[in-house]
Formats: sequence, C-alpha cells, structure tokens
Amino acid sequence: MISFFRKLTWLMRRRRKEDELGEELRFHLEEEAEQRQTEGLAAEQARWAALRDLGSIASVQENTRVSWGWTTLEQLGQDVRYALRTMLANKAFTALAALSLALGIGANTAIYSFMDTLLLRSLPVQDPGSLVLLNWQAAGRGQDAERSPSIMHGVHTRSGSSYRDPQKGYIGGIVPYAAFELFRKDDSAFTSVFAHYQPSSFTLSVKGEADIASGEYVSGDFFRGLGVPAASGRLIVSDDDRAGAEPVAILSHSLSQSRFGGPAQAVGQSILINNIAFTVAGVTPPEFFGVNPGIAPDFYLPMHANLLFGGDIAGWYLAQNTYWIEVMARLRPGVSIQAAQATWAAPFRQWVESTATNDQERANLPVLLIREGGGGLDALRRRYSKPLYMLMTLVGFILAIACANIANLLLARATARRREMAVRLGMGATRSRVVRQLLTESILLASLGGILGLLVAYGSIRFLTLLLGNGALHSSLDWHVMGLAGALSLLTGVVFGLVPAIQSTRADVIPALKEVRASHTPSRFRVSLSQVLIVAQIALSLLMLVAAGLFIRTLSNLQSVQLGFNRDNLLLFQLNARQAGHQDAEITSFYTELQKRFNALPGVRIASLSHESLLNAGTGQPISVPGAERDSKTRLLYVGPAFFTTMQIPILLGRDIDDRDQPGSPAVVVISEQFAKKNFGEENPLGRHLTLGGRDPRDMEIVGVVREARYGGLKREVPPVVYIPYNQGSHKAVAEMTFVLRTSSDPLGFVNTVREIAHQADARVPVSNVQTQSAQIDELMGQEIAFAKLCSAFAFLALVVACVGLYGTLSYNIARRTGEIGIRMALGARRGSVVWMVLRDVVVFAAAGLAISVPIALATSTLVASFLFDMKPNDPLALTLAVVILLASALLAGYAPARKASRIDPMIALRHQ
Amino acid sequence: MSVKPPSRVELLQGTLDLLILQTLLAGPTHGHAIAKHIQRTSEDLLQVETGSLYPALHRLEAKGWISATWELSDKGKRAKYYRLTPLGRKQLATEQSKWQAFSRAMGLIVNPEVL
Repeated sequence: MISFFRKLTWLMRRRRKEDELGEELRFHLEEEAEQRQTEGLAAEQARWAALRDLGSIASVQENTRVSWGWTTLEQLGQDVRYALRTMLANKAFTALAALSLALGIGANTAIYSFMDTLLLRSLPVQDPGSLVLLNWQAAGRGQDAERSPSIMHGVHTRSGSSYRDPQKGYIGGIVPYAAFELFRKDDSAFTSVFAHYQPSSFTLSVKGEADIASGEYVSGDFFRGLGVPAASGRLIVSDDDRAGAEPVAILSHSLSQSRFGGPAQAVGQSILINNIAFTVAGVTPPEFFGVNPGIAPDFYLPMHANLLFGGDIAGWYLAQNTYWIEVMARLRPGVSIQAAQATWAAPFRQWVESTATNDQERANLPVLLIREGGGGLDALRRRYSKPLYMLMTLVGFILAIACANIANLLLARATARRREMAVRLGMGATRSRVVRQLLTESILLASLGGILGLLVAYGSIRFLTLLLGNGALHSSLDWHVMGLAGALSLLTGVVFGLVPAIQSTRADVIPALKEVRASHTPSRFRVSLSQVLIVAQIALSLLMLVAAGLFIRTLSNLQSVQLGFNRDNLLLFQLNARQAGHQDAEITSFYTELQKRFNALPGVRIASLSHESLLNAGTGQPISVPGAERDSKTRLLYVGPAFFTTMQIPILLGRDIDDRDQPGSPAVVVISEQFAKKNFGEENPLGRHLTLGGRDPRDMEIVGVVREARYGGLKREVPPVVYIPYNQGSHKAVAEMTFVLRTSSDPLGFVNTVREIAHQADARVPVSNVQTQSAQIDELMGQEIAFAKLCSAFAFLALVVACVGLYGTLSYNIARRTGEIGIRMALGARRGSVVWMVLRDVVVFAAAGLAISVPIALATSTLVASFLFDMKPNDPLALTLAVVILLASALLAGYAPARKASRIDPMIALRHQ
Repeated sequence: MSVKPPSRVELLQGTLDLLILQTLLAGPTHGHAIAKHIQRTSEDLLQVETGSLYPALHRLEAKGWISATWELSDKGKRAKYYRLTPLGRKQLATEQSKWQAFSRAMGLIVNPEVL
C-alpha cells in the first residue's frame, strides 16, 4: 500500500512539474515576443521570432525532464508501452515472429537440456572436480574390435563400461576385486577409493507388492567417498559391506516416495529383494542419481550382499582374472591426475603382471589409466553425444533460420517505418533514443518468443525423453536451461533488432519525409541484407531437407527389414520366477504350467516362451559340430514348446520343439537355415548331433531346421542360431523368461488378464516389460524414428519459415514497385511476363541458396553416415527430392505475390504516383 | 537555422551554471530575464540558448543550488522566479575561483607579453 501511495504522489508531482514547465516556457515565449515587439516587430512576426528562437518546445521539455532524474525508467516504460501497442497493431507480424522464435528457442532449449544432463553437468556430489575413474587401457588383439583382452578370463558386466577407443585401444572400466583392494592399500594419492557395479534388475517386493526395480551394488565407502549425505536414516558404511553383515538397502528418494510415501516413512522398513529380506537403512537425497548421468538406480546394496543371491559370486571376489567392478577415487588435495597416475602406474603393472597366466597375456598387459570422474561414468555420454551434437546442429539451424526471418521482417518493417522514424528524428529525438525504442521492441518480441519457447521446450523434453532413450534418459528444465533460453532470446532480440534499428534511423530526415511510395526503385544488382538473409534461409532449409530425406530413407529401410517372423498381434512380457524365490527344477514346471494357462486363454491362439526375446537376444556359448570347425559367431536361444509356431517362423525340415521335449528326455535342438548350410552344406542335418560346450558339455540331436529370423536387433547381420529347449538344462540356470502370446485381436487387450494369471500363479512374481512385438521393434528403431520424425518436422518448419520470409520480401518489393509495374503494363507487358518477372527473382534466390548448400550437403552428409542404415550418405534420391521440394515451395511462395503483381491495374497504379 | 551575428561567441562548456548563479546573485528573477541579463551584461557577446537554459535551471534546482517560487512579474503575470540558496552561494564561490584560475591560466598562455 505504501509503495502504491508513493507511486501516486510521484505521479501527481510529475504531472504538476510537467504543467509548470509548460507554463514557464509559455511565459518565456510571451516575454520574448513582447520584447521583440518593443524592438519594432509586428505582433505576429514577434511571436514567430520568439518561437524560432526557442527551437523545438518538445525537445526543450525532453531535455529538461532529463534533469528531473527519473527519465531512463520512464522512457523504458514508454518504450515498452509503445512496443506493446505496435505489436498488438501488427498481430500477424507479431504472431509469426514470436512463433518462429518460440520454435527455434524451444527446440534448442530442449536439446540443450539433454546435453546439459548427459554431457556437461557434474555429479551432484561434494567437490566433483577431485573425483577420478580408475580405468585401464590395452592395445587389444588384431581387428577383433569388440573382443576384450585375453587377460580377462571372466567378464561380468553390462555393456558400456568397457569399449574400444580408436586412439587408445581397448579402454576397460572394470577391474577384478583384487585390484580394488590394491588401490585401497595406499592412501598417498587418494583420500578414498570406492567401487560399484552397474545396476541390474531385481524383483522388489514392498508390503506384498512385487515389481521390477534396478539396484546398484556399492562398496562400503561409496557414499562417504562421494560425499553424499542421507536424506533420511543413514547410508551404507564400511561395516555393511562384508560377508555375513546384516542385509541393508538404501533407497533412492523417488522410490521411497512412490513405495512408502516419503524418506522418513521408508527407514527401518523391511523389503524383499529377490525374495531375500533387507532392512531399509536410509534414503539418498533427491538430486542424487548415482554415478551414471541419465540412469538412476532405484536402490543401492552393499557390494557383498550379492553373496546372498546365490551362484558362484564368492569366487568372483577371489578370482584374479575376473573383471567385474568399477572403481572410483577421490584425489588427495594438491595431487593431480598425472601425479596419481605416476604413483600408481608401477604398482598396478606389478599386480597385473602377477595375474597373467601365459606369455600372450604377459605381452599385452593392461596399463592403468586414471581419468576425470567429476561427470560420472561416460557410457551414456559416448552413446548419446554424437546424436545430441547432431540434433543440436539441426536445431541451431532452425534458430538461425528463425532469426534470419525475424531480422528480415524487422528490416521490412523498419523500411516501412522510415517516415515515422524521420518524424521522430525531425522533432528532435536523438538517434540513440530512437534506436533504444526499436531495440525495446525487438527485445520484447524476442522475450515473447523466449517465453513461448520454454513451453515448447517443456513439451519437447517429454517427447524427446520417450524418443531418444525409450524413457531411460531423464532431463528436465532447470535454471541452467532456463538461463540458456533467456540468453538466447535476449541475444536474438539485440542482434537482430540492432541492424534494422540502426539502418532505419540513418535516414536523412528530409528525403524520407518527402518520400512517396514507389518513387524509390531499388537497383536490381545491389545485394541487400534482406536478400542475403533469404538466400541463407533457403540454403539452411535445403540442408535440413537433405537430412530429413536421409533419415526418412534410413527409417524406411529399417522398417522393410525382413524379420523372418510375423510381428502382428504378438504380446511380449517377462517373468522371473527365480528372483521371487522359486528353485531350480520347480522353475521349469512353474513356467510350463503358466504356458498352459496362457494357451487356454480365449483369444490367445498360441503361447510360447524363450529366455530372451528374439530381437533383444544375444547369448553366445561354444557350440561344436563333430568334425566341423568351431565358430564363435553362432548364437543360441533357449525356447519353450511351439516357439516357431507361435512366432510363425517357417519350419523347413523336421519339427518344432514340443511337449515331447522334457527334462530327461533325449536332448534335441533346432537349427537355423544358415547354421545348417554352414555346417552341413547340402546334406540333411536332421538326426545329426551338436555339442553345447561349457561346464558340462551336452550332446543334442538336430530335430528341425527353420528359416532365418532376426536375432539381436534389426541392423546387425543375422548370425547362425541354434534353438535349444529351455527345460533340458542350459549353460546357465533358468531364471528370467520372455513369454510370447499370439493373439487374435489387439494384444494390449490381454495385458490385464496376463497380469491376473501371473498374480494367481504366484503374487511374488511381477510381470515386467509388457509390450507388443511392434512396440519392441519401434523401440529398437527409437533413434531412427526420432531422427526421421524430428528432422522432417525441423525441415518442414525451416521450409515454412523460409517461404514465409520469401513471400514477405517479395510482397514488399512488389508493393514498392507498383508504379513501375503499372508503367510496364501500360506499355503493353502481359500478365504472364509480369508473373515471370517476379518468379525470376525467386529462381535467382533459390539458385543462389542451392549453389551454397548443395556442396555443403555433399560434404557434410558423410558426418551422419553412422546414423544411416543400408544406404550411402550422398544418396542421390534424397538430394534430388530435397532440391525439388525446395524449388517447388519457393515457387509456390513466390506465385501469390507474382499473381498479385500481374493483377495491378495500370490506371490505379499510375494515379498513385 | 538561426543566423548569429559574427561577433557572438559560443558559451564554453560548463560555464552556463556559473553565469546563472552569478546573475541570481543580484536577486531573484525568472528564466527569460536571466537570459537577457547575460546577453546584455556581456554586451551581446554571449547568447544563451533557450534550449539549454531551462534544462540547466532545472538541474541546478535539483541540486539544491537555486530554489524556485511562482510570483507575479512586474507586468502582473505569473512567472517562475529563481533565487540563490545558501548552498548555491557556496557553489558560486567555488565556480568563481575555478573560473578565475582557468582564465588566468588561459591568459598566461594566450597573452604571454602582458606580463
């Protein structure tokens, strides 16, 4: 209230001062006139002389106001008000400009938020700068790029932590437990050394409700080393991380909220993880997501808790050549990475040398590689950085086109407002004052674009989350990203408002005031800024069109990939009975029973199961044909009865796996056509035998040969595959199985029934990853779909914006040339020739744009080669199509103004002069 | 454009304040009279631009060196009369001594033979 009154009195005082100034000046004029009259001038003349002497009253008033001290703010207010009025008066202009900016800024902000999350931001932990990753590098062997060095006898990891670097050779993120113990022995370089291994999925049961959740094993010093405090309770400490310790779990903040209603309620509760009781000891803070940006585990377990889940884990802790844990450390203050590397290189070498078992291993030992760890693990960074940079470039283009468009619109408007500016300047406004006002307008416009852009960004982040990472990636709008949006809009406002503002205030007052429409014909050969902008827009649009063409073709190539099975009306879902507490032999009967129940469901034509879904499969195990060479390319799939009938994979010879194939009955196997050709040539493979290698080799009889079906993704070459009954013993214990249901109607209609049946069979076994086969295929093509969709949307956007710009410029030029065109028509020019005259400009613009962009497109499309499938980067079809679309749209944009020009009535046009 | 007699000299930057304060030393008066007084006293050599007189008056008022009241002029019309404040007197003294130092310095350089 007080400030309101202050404002009111301020306004009143302001009004009074204004009146007083007017009166003062009036008095001055009267005095002056009177004096002149006494000097002998006529009354009227004296008055004029006095006025002339005073100069511009407005200008005197303006200058006087400056001395009152509140002008700057007041002028800003005036400018903003005026700007809002002009924006409202030109709704179409405002809407167009704000919308194109909003799309540009929004798209940039959205992509940037992902880059920020994945590539730029540090871990939300104490002093991330002093964290390091303890990795190693090895030259590796020959061309077999995917192969790990032979020193790694046992490798237990999910993809990502180790990879081949083109410069450094094989980079290993995982080490044996013994190496971790080695690093912990000496604390001269590190204040703490801690380990973890990548999250895996567990069956988590809270208050009788089972679900799949991801959990990460961490060493006792993990949280202390990172410097993460507990949001509630306590985090894992060293004493928790030993064999036989009380089993405790730490929940993530979001899990504590979704399952317990909050961190405080979760602490002390008992939960079942894979059917083993754990006590919730604490909850991590909400901003903590582990050490892998973009992927947040649901809970954390002490590393040694993995002993509780059975298997031969105890051996992992002792085996010197089993690589499985990832180690991080915090540098002691004052110790650099190089110093730490120097300190540890020799001890590590000594240790690793002691683990080598033969000369080949000794010749190619891993070398310690200490890397910055403040950003966390970089598996996702490696995977997404290229796509993200590419998308960032594309959205950068969009913003550039939008900016060019706005600059063009502002330029055109500035020219249209030359008289207004001339009047302002003529009345005594300084140039800086007018520029300031024009800048206020453009910044206001840009801010509007920025605000709308944030909305666009909010929407597209959610869209991108689904498209890019199938929902595995997380990103959100935060102040980093908002700041970027703000900076972007301010920058566009200033940069693209300044040039037109300066240009329009440069006008000489007198000619501008006298200027009559159409008296000013721009010479044809002078290249104006607006023409340059149009050509740039056309050039950028073509690049986007080419990119869109390439990605759309890639997607269609992928979509037409021969699957080898029928994708329609298939429902996939996973069950893991072992995690829920079922034991070995009984697991198979549990699954067999379930399969029977699903088969009996009305609407389900047939049901089967395999240990992995075909397209996600990737299991290799030595398989040998007596008398043939061993082949490491062969892959296998453990399947249930009627698998081929369910998937509709044609059986070429022999039979499907069926109910005859029981535990204890003669071991059988079905092979793929390729495997048959490779190992048996033209001979009949039925009745021949294979040996499944591993700990207890097993002899199997071939009972069937099936047609090729896609295995392990869409892009990879189909490997030779052998299909083995899952219930006749396998190289690893039967645990998780993927069921497939062939339904007679929409598969998603069966989801609830499936859940009910599973729940009835055993409530502890959650149904997870429920999706249709088609959805799974789309998911596999996620990046390609995303690129194709985004690029075509971007290209369309770019094209529309560029065409609108072209249309605007042409219309404006024609309006200015009305007189000229009128004369031409009066002299006998035909309508057709007038249309052609305008379209010729379009063709020139387009040709200039193409001349710039086609070579660029040819040169840069190789950069996206890795994103393409089954095609060359310089695809002539995509390029030709892009050029044709661009030319057609440009001509279309030019046709309307051209037609309008040809309809000019010479009489009216000439009378205008 | 107004045509000025060649005999007139441009006001030096920053001297208008001094001229106004000096003029007001003689007693309160209005803007027009201040301009005329400066012109007359300088034997028409100095012409005060109205465009800079009023901003200057308002600026001095804002600084508190002069104050203003509305009074009736000798011809019976309402006019804004300016007068020196005590602060203004002090300011005048500083401006005077500054100017004297300046003009002496200029004199020394431009007319060395006078000494």
